[in-house]
Amino acid sequence: MFKNYLKIAFRNIWKNKVFSIVNIMSLAIGLSASFVIGVIVYYDLTFDKFHPDGERIYRVTTEFNSPQGSSYNPGITVPLTQALRDQESTLIEAIAPLFIAYPQHVKNKESALVFKTPKYVVYTDPSFFEVFEYQWLAGNKQKAISEPNQVVLSENRAKKYFPNTSLQQIIGKTIIYNDTILTTVSGLVANFTRRTDLVFEEFISLKTAATGDMTGTIKETNWGNTNSASQLFIKIKENADAKNVSLLLKNLAKEHEDKERAAIGYSSIFHMQPLFQIHLDSNYYTFDFAESKASASVLIGLGCTALFLLLLGCINFINLNTSQATQRAKEIGVRKTLGSSKRQLVIQFLGETFLLTMAAAIISIILSKWLLLVFSDFIPQGVSFSLFGSPIILISIIILLLVVTLLSGLYPAVILSNYKPVKVLKNHSVIGQNKSGLRKYLTVFQFTIAQVFIIATLLVAKQLNYMLKKDMGFKTEAIAHFRTPWQDDSAAKKTALLRQITAMSQVTNATIAGNPPASRSTHSRDISFENGENLTHFNLQLLYGDSDYFNLYGLNLLKGRLPLNDTIQEYVVNKAFLKPLGLENPESVVGKFIKSGEEQYLIVGVMDDFNQRSLKSKIEPLAFTGDPDRTGRSQFNRIHFKLETSAINQWPSIIKQMEEVWQKLYPEYEFEYTFVDDSIRRFYQGERKISTLLNWATGLAIVISCLGLFALVIYNTQRRVKEIGIRKVLGASITDLNILLTKEFLMLVGVAFLIAIPIAWYGLNSWLENFAFKTEASWWVFVVSGFAMMLIALVIISMRTIGAAKVNPVKSLRSE
Amino acid sequence: MLLQLNNIFKWVNSGGQRIFLLKDINLQVEEGEFISIMGPSGSGKSTLLNVIGMLDTFDEGTYDFLHESVHSLKEKHRANLYKEYIGFVFQSYHLLDDLTVKENLEMPLLYKKFKGSERKAIVADMLDRFNIVGKKDLFPTQLSGGQQQLVGVARALIANPKLILADEPTGNLNSQQSEEIMELFKKLNEEDGVTIIQVTHSEQNAAYGSRIINLLDGRKVEI
Repeated sequence: MFKNYLKIAFRNIWKNKVFSIVNIMSLAIGLSASFVIGVIVYYDLTFDKFHPDGERIYRVTTEFNSPQGSSYNPGITVPLTQALRDQESTLIEAIAPLFIAYPQHVKNKESALVFKTPKYVVYTDPSFFEVFEYQWLAGNKQKAISEPNQVVLSENRAKKYFPNTSLQQIIGKTIIYNDTILTTVSGLVANFTRRTDLVFEEFISLKTAATGDMTGTIKETNWGNTNSASQLFIKIKENADAKNVSLLLKNLAKEHEDKERAAIGYSSIFHMQPLFQIHLDSNYYTFDFAESKASASVLIGLGCTALFLLLLGCINFINLNTSQATQRAKEIGVRKTLGSSKRQLVIQFLGETFLLTMAAAIISIILSKWLLLVFSDFIPQGVSFSLFGSPIILISIIILLLVVTLLSGLYPAVILSNYKPVKVLKNHSVIGQNKSGLRKYLTVFQFTIAQVFIIATLLVAKQLNYMLKKDMGFKTEAIAHFRTPWQDDSAAKKTALLRQITAMSQVTNATIAGNPPASRSTHSRDISFENGENLTHFNLQLLYGDSDYFNLYGLNLLKGRLPLNDTIQEYVVNKAFLKPLGLENPESVVGKFIKSGEEQYLIVGVMDDFNQRSLKSKIEPLAFTGDPDRTGRSQFNRIHFKLETSAINQWPSIIKQMEEVWQKLYPEYEFEYTFVDDSIRRFYQGERKISTLLNWATGLAIVISCLGLFALVIYNTQRRVKEIGIRKVLGASITDLNILLTKEFLMLVGVAFLIAIPIAWYGLNSWLENFAFKTEASWWVFVVSGFAMMLIALVIISMRTIGAAKVNPVKSLRSE
Repeated sequence: MLLQLNNIFKWVNSGGQRIFLLKDINLQVEEGEFISIMGPSGSGKSTLLNVIGMLDTFDEGTYDFLHESVHSLKEKHRANLYKEYIGFVFQSYHLLDDLTVKENLEMPLLYKKFKGSERKAIVADMLDRFNIVGKKDLFPTQLSGGQQQLVGVARALIANPKLILADEPTGNLNSQQSEEIMELFKKLNEEDGVTIIQVTHSEQNAAYGSRIINLLDGRKVEI
């Protein structure tokens, strides 16, 4: 029986090659998109799932609320750890504080090997190993970092620092951080082999920090300071309720809040972030900054895209199979008279569908491999083809194939098996007609999806173009900047560097100042401003620079003057500064004072607004000021320079010269420069990714839908061969016939367009909400995309109908 | 007695009018009969044959087949009944083009869940009996009309039915081929005792049968 079915299936697939290829290809496209996206989702969802008692481990994080909104910090205020330990708590099993350190270099004392800027170095205490279960290769978790000047290394790090030394010999050896902190290797742990965000490699005992360079940080007692380098992991007791721990944290926050600031709307809340969510929570970053972070919303978006593409493939399948029904009607009739039951027929047809799905799956696995290569920029680094081997993925693929088979095969199978043999055997043309209704709906659905994708692609591209082209309010052309090393704050070196750069022939202008006008970094200060009787509190962004900087970037002073270069701090505020005060006239603030804590600052001028961040953010109140602290940690640490615009060919050689100068002054550090134009483009990396992915999704959606349309047109013209012949004999021209044949399909595409408009409108408007500065969802975007779809459909349809209309009627009518 | 039709009526409603396809048909068929149904186009011959073959339903009357009341049976039981006892032969053969002669013959056996070895034996026997062993691996389109109908008859017979229903079995064949098929029917009827009901236009073919039923406008008439 089974063999017989298989045989029939193969012969059928072979006989209708075009239909089979369309079926297999559209399913394969949908499936491969699902596979790749599924693997990405699987990858991102399987971080840190392997820790024993992982569900009891939390990272404590901080949320700050202010009248301007909320901000998030993965760190916590240092005294919280001690406060938690002081609470004689029955809820928490282990409390592990963690301080992230960025040493400049590490030296292997014995061999004098030096390693620059090691990453993933932390200060912590033995409780860390109570929270996280590591496999100990040497040493033990109780004693390893209980004393000062001890360090535990990961296996990878140990092998790097001590090449050609056995693990046992490494114990007791000394490594030196920053030439001053001597530590003894007291333990070795294996690196986690499964996916994890806990990428730490070196664990220095916390007691070391107290004597070393981190003293200031770890001995912080002020509840008002929060540093993202100071983090806290807790493991709650087995029978403890996380809600109670959360309540405990809430009470601690309340107890230590700053009453004055609370009165004007500032507060902070501690959150318990479950371990496995570290990878997905977009409010906080992980420990590996290089790794792009997953976000739940992106994953959902990807998932929907895969689902839609797969649905499109299934729809092709349903459409083609029900439209082909006439051809198989005879077989069904004969089989039924010969004794086949309905169930047997359904099983037979489902079997055929499964066979096609399997073929599609094999192709799509090959396609997936290719897709993973094409999209390597977008896909998290750890995602590779080998993930397909994992049992969960394999089982999911099999389930997916069965679901796809049922989804696309069940309806046609039931329709076909319902045919009454008498009707089928007597009259071949009865069937197929009344069932075309569903086919139309499905086609409309397909084209609606394709149309929404097209509109979205156009509009996203439009917004991207708008953001890249829009005047940010300052000059960007030919301007670049680089930062001097923060570890080396020598003013003399900076001056020397600036002097040499200014002297270069192609450099038209150079200055030393703070950040560029638009950047991702923040310097801000909570201030209050007294305007008559009203005292207004808000957050003020700060930009540090001098008059050269002001001119270099072409900033525009509206009123007053620039700060003088002396020791008094004077502010030039932007127009946005006036808004929270409810003022219009720039003159009304010039000469007034801004209060921040005990300090007062004079406003000497007002400048025009410019964008301080990407166009996703609004323009915030901002003040331009000189260097507040010339002697200590200077804010003037970035050299900005403008190059001769006409000499663009010589830029690389100038940059090279600068690098040489840099190498003489800062031999230990790398020279990294950024052009302002590039950094602005980098603001929209996320949007550019979305745009590229949308291009692909749109292309695929169009391909699948058009394949389906093409096959439907083939079927339709085949069915109407006789009608075409008769019409032709009666005098219809090829154009007449073509209109007749395309009309029906273009109507469907038109209806799809009408349905797509409101959906796309709503979706894109809510996407544009993310941007403070946005392009319009202009009517022409919709019209153009509608026409594009129509045109594509028309070309596809005409490919077939013109041929059909040209057939000599004698041929088509003779067969009767 | 093989089957009995009592007061069978069948109609369709068209434009507010009731058009009768079958009108008060009474028919009793004994085992071993060879009956020919005759009448002009549209007289209801094929409808009657389909009712007998349980492929079509009727609106009024009773139908007993081997003492089972067909009119009160569920569709599934009805299907089992005709699967077991009835073989069909069609005017346009209705062989499956995708299957070879051998596979076409094998199909009814599959639905009756015969074992593989048994199937092979029965098919080989049938091929032998109809002298078409040499054609077993050909596809229907590679055969002449007469040969296709031969396969059609063989397929109808393969599951050893009590009754063969043939709807103009020679309608698409030339006279020599027709004669061969009718001879075959006669031989089956006389030697193997298979009951045959055929619909035909030709007096000559009808003469092979033992009884002729004439229909006119859905009604049985005597000539």
